[in-house]
Amino acid sequence: MKRTTILLLFISLLFTGCEGFLEEAPKLDQSTEITLSTYNGLNNAMAGAYAPLASTTWYGAFYVLEAEMRAGNATLPTNSDFTSGRMLVPHSLSYSPTTTSGLWGFAYFMISAANNVIENLPGKDVGDVTAQDLNNLKAEALFLRALAHFDMVRLYAPSYAKNPSAPGIPIILKTDVSAQEMPARNTVAQVYDQIIADLLEAESIIDPDYARAGVTDSKAVVTLPAIQALLSRAYLYSQKWQLAADYATKVINNADFAMWNAGQLPGVWTKDVAGNGGEVIFEVYGIRSNEYDGFWEGPSHMTNPLGYADCAAHPDLTALYDAGDVRGNLFRTDADNVSGSLWTTKYAGKGLGDALSTPDVNNVIVLRLSEMYLNRAEAIVNGAVVTGASALGDINQIVTNRGLAPYASVGADVVFNERRKELAFEGHIWFDYARTNRPSLRSDKPLEAGSYLWALPIPQREIDVNKNLVQNDGY
Amino acid sequence: MKRITVLLGFLVLLGLQVVFAQTKQITGTVTSAEDGMGIPGVSVVVKGTTIGATTDIDGKYTLANVPQNAEFIVFSFIGMRTIEMPANQAIINVVMESDSKELEEVVVVAYGVVKREAKTGSVSTVKGESIAEAPVSSVDKMLTGKMAGVQITAASGQPGADSQIRIRGTSSINAGSDPLWVVDGIPVMAGDQSYFTNTGNAIAAINPSDIESITVLKDAAAASVYGSRAANGVILVTTKSGSAGKAKFQARSKFGVSQLANDNGYGVMSGKQLLDYQRQAYTNAGLDPDVYRPYSLLDGGTIDWMDHVTRMGNLQEFEINAAAGTDKGKFYTSLSTHKNEGVYYGVDYEKITARMNADFKLTKNLETGSRVNLAYTESNDVAMQSLYYVNPAFAGMRILPWTKPYNADGTHNINIPENSNTNPRFSADNDEQFEKQYRLQASQYLSWKPIEGLEFKTNNAAEGTFGEGRRYWAPDYGGTTGTLQTSNIQYLQLTTSNTVAYSNTIAEKHSVRALAGQEAMRRTYHSYYMYSPNVDVLIPFPNTSTAADDDGDYSYNARTLLSFFGILDYNYNSKYFLQASARYDGSSLFGEDKRWGLFWSVGGSWNIHNEAFMENISYLNVLKLRLSYGLNGNDNIAPYQAYGVYASTAYNGSTGMLPDSPSNSSLSWEINKTWNLGLDFGFFKGKLNGSIDIYNRDTEDMLLSKQVPQTSGFSTNFMNIGSLRNNGVEFQLDGEIFSTKELVWTAGFNVAYNKTEILDLGDVKEMTYADDARLRHTVGKGMYTFWLKDYYGVNPSNGEALWRMADGTLTNSYNKAAYIYAGSPEPKFIGGFNTSVSWKGLSLGAFFEFKQGNKVLIIENRYFNADGNQMSTNQAITALDYWQKPGDTGVNPKPVAGNSSNSYQFASTRWLEDGSYLRIKDITLSYNLPQSITQKIKLGGVKVYASALNLYTFHDVNFWDPERGVTGVGAGIYPMTKTFIGGIELSF
Repeated sequence: MKRTTILLLFISLLFTGCEGFLEEAPKLDQSTEITLSTYNGLNNAMAGAYAPLASTTWYGAFYVLEAEMRAGNATLPTNSDFTSGRMLVPHSLSYSPTTTSGLWGFAYFMISAANNVIENLPGKDVGDVTAQDLNNLKAEALFLRALAHFDMVRLYAPSYAKNPSAPGIPIILKTDVSAQEMPARNTVAQVYDQIIADLLEAESIIDPDYARAGVTDSKAVVTLPAIQALLSRAYLYSQKWQLAADYATKVINNADFAMWNAGQLPGVWTKDVAGNGGEVIFEVYGIRSNEYDGFWEGPSHMTNPLGYADCAAHPDLTALYDAGDVRGNLFRTDADNVSGSLWTTKYAGKGLGDALSTPDVNNVIVLRLSEMYLNRAEAIVNGAVVTGASALGDINQIVTNRGLAPYASVGADVVFNERRKELAFEGHIWFDYARTNRPSLRSDKPLEAGSYLWALPIPQREIDVNKNLVQNDGY
Repeated sequence: MKRITVLLGFLVLLGLQVVFAQTKQITGTVTSAEDGMGIPGVSVVVKGTTIGATTDIDGKYTLANVPQNAEFIVFSFIGMRTIEMPANQAIINVVMESDSKELEEVVVVAYGVVKREAKTGSVSTVKGESIAEAPVSSVDKMLTGKMAGVQITAASGQPGADSQIRIRGTSSINAGSDPLWVVDGIPVMAGDQSYFTNTGNAIAAINPSDIESITVLKDAAAASVYGSRAANGVILVTTKSGSAGKAKFQARSKFGVSQLANDNGYGVMSGKQLLDYQRQAYTNAGLDPDVYRPYSLLDGGTIDWMDHVTRMGNLQEFEINAAAGTDKGKFYTSLSTHKNEGVYYGVDYEKITARMNADFKLTKNLETGSRVNLAYTESNDVAMQSLYYVNPAFAGMRILPWTKPYNADGTHNINIPENSNTNPRFSADNDEQFEKQYRLQASQYLSWKPIEGLEFKTNNAAEGTFGEGRRYWAPDYGGTTGTLQTSNIQYLQLTTSNTVAYSNTIAEKHSVRALAGQEAMRRTYHSYYMYSPNVDVLIPFPNTSTAADDDGDYSYNARTLLSFFGILDYNYNSKYFLQASARYDGSSLFGEDKRWGLFWSVGGSWNIHNEAFMENISYLNVLKLRLSYGLNGNDNIAPYQAYGVYASTAYNGSTGMLPDSPSNSSLSWEINKTWNLGLDFGFFKGKLNGSIDIYNRDTEDMLLSKQVPQTSGFSTNFMNIGSLRNNGVEFQLDGEIFSTKELVWTAGFNVAYNKTEILDLGDVKEMTYADDARLRHTVGKGMYTFWLKDYYGVNPSNGEALWRMADGTLTNSYNKAAYIYAGSPEPKFIGGFNTSVSWKGLSLGAFFEFKQGNKVLIIENRYFNADGNQMSTNQAITALDYWQKPGDTGVNPKPVAGNSSNSYQFASTRWLEDGSYLRIKDITLSYNLPQSITQKIKLGGVKVYASALNLYTFHDVNFWDPERGVTGVGAGIYPMTKTFIGGIELSF
């Protein structure tokens, strides 16, 4: 009898008040807490934070291609057998809050990944991990955070040139764990200030020789020149001409980069990795194994006449190239030229697909050396002064490498036109029109400089769940 | 020992008789009413004395020194009704009856039994004997239509498939809506546990004929002591235990055949029909039918592919069980096999179960016992429940009648372009898809009753499922490599349940029962999966696949539950009953801020018939009013949802981590608040019994994926934000219409009405149902509402399909048609009725089941009533009813080859039909051989029976059978089958 009592007591005690019994953490997914608790975890989180860049809404195709389509570098093939319907909205500039770009979600996703790293770095320099190791991770995170803010503010807000105090996008610098906060939009100027502050900090802390280890493409990771190149562009967009020129100069003077010449240019677009010694400063690496690989909707398939082919070259653009300009050769027809359209070969693919059973993949260049020359030329035209450099010299540096004779003189319009020809299909033209307050000259759908259409609408789902967000005018 | 005692007693008595001539001797035999056999060990005592004897092995007794003035002899035995006989004869033979009639007055409820009279909550029960004969593979299938408010829906007629059970409606969108199963006091795992097939019904481990009774706890008062798992009701299963007395054996066997249920003449066209139809379609398209569909197509002969892929299913079942006991211990054991070959080639299901239930009294107040059940199930199938080419239910409808089934050399023809070169018979012969499972349910208890009315009990259980799965795609003839997937799964659940209960009656009128308890549960799941492409066709195992191509996956999760609970019952003089229960549950599934929850209920009832003022109303013997309110929880969600997690991601040739879900430290259970008002009544000495219940169940804190600002990095978070309501009425009536000694006619009826209304979905007014966009969850409407384009019908003047546009005008353009809310798959009324007539040993029973007011979407007909869009496949015979001349209405649109009118499109009310049905679920004729014969052949009893399941279904659905799951969608369904069986039961 006594034994029974003891047994019963024992069993009850075994489970009474043992709260640990109720702790069952996931084992196959890593809890956020654990991921962010060690240097290795943070390093993995940092490696993963790049992944959204490759999504189709971003550099994985549409952020770039839609900008080209809106501004008239790209157009729909006239033969409708070569369209899939994916480019109708950008082509007709008929964005609505429900059909607007989905960049918002991916960019803030990357920002939260970056913020998690930034917030959890302090104190992780234990063992073999040095303070510089932490700083390198932080610099990467700051760069990605800046890039995400930058790509959003130039898409969803009026340009700095139009109205620096217009609503920009919410600046997010720390992770909202509960997902309950409802941030309001900061002004365009505030957003640029933050982007520049992040990049300056990154520049100041990164090891000049640092590039993330263990990746396939060493130009698809954050490096000191990438930070400086993005700084040059951010200053250019916010019309800090001198600083834009100074940072362009830092990259131009970096011996690691060299202009492609006319002979090299046609061959650089199909490489698996950019490698050293060329123009590429920062690119997004394309491969089927990327979590966010766009497959049929990747840039290669969207610009392949055998593929979806929605994104053909606009006659406005192809007409700009003079005879002898190798950039004018970066276009192709379909196999039998039945469509009469041309497509860019900047995304001709790595030879990893046939566009029929499998689409090909492509890298997407974000920052490269010729842009630095163009940035500096434009800055100098706008009053910046760089010893030993001129707008004419910078523009000629480009055109002479493209098989053309040098200019005798250049002004703002020549700089702009050269920029358009050089960076066509790389996602610049729409934003270049906007930030310089120019009208779009697209022949089939011109757009005056003052139109509300220059800022895309904020996604409706965000307006619905965040009462502090104000939609852009006109939508 | 006993026999020696008897012998000694006999000798003593014999001696005494010599001394006192004042006494007399009485002898006799005690037999059992059930089987007519003698009962050993019966106590035979002269009333008012200590003079007594015990029956011997044959039930014989001798009372030697009975005083001359003795008035009565008392016969008593555990489990039998005590009998008193006048002591006025020298030979007194007695037939004892089991006191199970008295047992019927009690109902198994949570953590105990109560007298039916004392219940305060809403419970329904089914007795074991009414379920043993049904030719089904698992217990859930037998409950269909038996109990008011308990809706059992088959998503598939495949042997071994599980059922969707909804007690009083569907209560949740994202948490489960299935009830908790409790077997012999231990909550067990339920649902489909297989990897590749859909036949891993965990409840099938229980052999239906091992079941003594099933109780369904429907309202809060009945169920809330199960706390965070009680919201969808609780099904309590009690298995059989032995009773004291001579060992009893039973052997049963069943044989049966089955075929597709098809009571509306659904089926495919013959070759001639299809050819005429297609020629008409070409003519309507302005094309020459002699070019596209010449009559010569029929020259090579045609076949009915539906016939070719189906067969007569068959079923066999064998079982043997034994039960015995003494006053110290008792046991019940059984062994059964069940084999069911499906109506489609490639589908079968086999099951072996073994059970041992034993109880033993260690000392006067210490008892122990165990319940052990082992089951092995093996099911083979093909990719059923999908619109996939190997699914015979789909492919058999598609393949053209003039396509040859076999090649000249007798092999299966696999050159079938209209079905992606797939022949389901080839697949059934050569591909493999199976799940083999071993299941163990074992529990052991120890009970200590130190004083009258007080019981300490500990009940500890282990339950496991171990499964092995295989899916193998064979190459075409001559191929050398196939594709193999294999799986290995394990579920383990450990439970300890410890209670102390005290019951007493104070001052004769105050009855009190109090119970306090504690439970803990831990369940783990893991699975290994391996993908092995290009395995050698001669050695189709992972070993022959190259290591570089293999791919493996591992999955694991665990959940724990810790609980404290109590029940308090009080009644005054059997008139006023009060019951309260509370449970405090802690669960690993929820966020750390909301890990513990309190659930409770109170219920009261008033036995009006026990009031003095009712004494004169003789025709009314039961009148009982019940009222209860309570709060219980629904924890039926996947584990780890409260944790923010990082998941691995790949970019730039390296593997990194990315945030995958936000953390939610306040994630908690859904709460159900239920009130129930019920009235039980009984007339004419129990010949007519019934009850009415009205209830309202509000689900609050419903778990929904809430849209969150993406500035957080996430789009959604799983939060307790929604609410919905179920309310309804249930009515049950059972009666004896006619009863004489030889002829008994009984009938029963139950019906339930339930209405579900979504009250709040958080930020939104409508959500798309996660598994099918044609269903919506809409505030102000039911759980599911069909959202489809509004099909009008055929244009009488030209045979085109017409739809309504938003403004009500008609259009022939599907794209311009308006979407409408087109009804719900939830039935308004469900129920059943049964009747049985027995005369002497012969008994005829019939059972009907019905659902009314639900819509079903027969999406298969998109392919088989395609109006010329599907020219390369066969069509349903119902497609022949098409528009032919101006003025035709209510028919299919005119078939046009290559139809581009979109009349066949998915999301159209054209495929939505009234799913109401009345099913003759079961008709059974049985015959118990009279004892005069069974005794001659030395058997306790012989019963033979014949039974038909799903004999006929009255419905209007343009398909084999109207049932297709709770959501009314689903595709490629294995329809219900009709089964005819014959069986025999022997007792000895």
